[in-house]
Amino acid sequence: MILTGFKKALRQSLIILIFTVMIAIFFNLLRPAGIALFGFSSVNLIKQRQAQIPEISLFEAHDLYLQKKVFFVDARDPLSYEEGHIAGALNIYPDEAALHAAELKTDNYRGVLIITYCDGPQCSLSKETAYELLRQGVLEAKVLVNGWSLWIKAGYPVKKGKE
Amino acid sequence: MTMKKFHRIIVPLGSLACRLILAIIFYYAGIEKIADPGAFAIAIYNYQLLPDFAVNALAVILPWVEIIMATCFVAGFYVRGAALISSALFLTFATALTINLVRGLDISCGCFGAASGNINWFYLGRDLSFLFISIFVMIYDRRWRYLFSLRST
Repeated sequence: MILTGFKKALRQSLIILIFTVMIAIFFNLLRPAGIALFGFSSVNLIKQRQAQIPEISLFEAHDLYLQKKVFFVDARDPLSYEEGHIAGALNIYPDEAALHAAELKTDNYRGVLIITYCDGPQCSLSKETAYELLRQGVLEAKVLVNGWSLWIKAGYPVKKGKE
Repeated sequence: MTMKKFHRIIVPLGSLACRLILAIIFYYAGIEKIADPGAFAIAIYNYQLLPDFAVNALAVILPWVEIIMATCFVAGFYVRGAALISSALFLTFATALTINLVRGLDISCGCFGAASGNINWFYLGRDLSFLFISIFVMIYDRRWRYLFSLRST
């Protein structure tokens, strides 16, 4: 009894679904705001979102650094980091963001702005790390474009080694 | 006697009410999503559960499933089938929601178009109560015909 009822429901639902898929695809084809059925590109979307991450100037960043209101994140590879990094910065390569996000979300970092940097005006690692951190629920992150070069040129404090 | 009355009148009427509530929810949710499929695709992508090629297809089809289901509920046509689909959808969504709540992703729910709030445990509760309603409708619904037969008995 229950089984036949369920079979009936299953048959009905299949008919509804087939009918609906046809309507949906047809409607999507006709409307001007229609989207490509299989054309979604997460790569483009991520690039767009990374471009929207706010940047910060060296002056502002250093100002906040003196007030101890920033936490620098070095997005370069570990070797470059060892050779030298902003004093107090933590090394987070983009794909390691998930490992560190939980720590950065704790109360210790409340009221502290997270600034990511890498080296060179074209370097995208800082944006990638910032994006990943934001995606993992970190509230605010900014990017210091060409951060490492600007920082050493300005003669601000740096550090060598793994820590 | 009262038990009989309960089964003959209260349950079917309750199921009718549930069915109409589901219809309103699905019409609202469906229309909001159809209005902006691109935004809904992004909401789906944000859940990080589907491969790229499935994202737009789902964004196109799912709102229409909601609309057609709602129409079935209102019309009293294929109600069991529609209730089965809606139960399956609520169950799937509950799973997707739970996964992302546990992951700690702070993303828009996408429940009622782009303007809906970010996911939280309340949404899971709401979803599960809708799931319960759908299952109830699937089991007990007697369509419109029953209302008219009430008078003659």
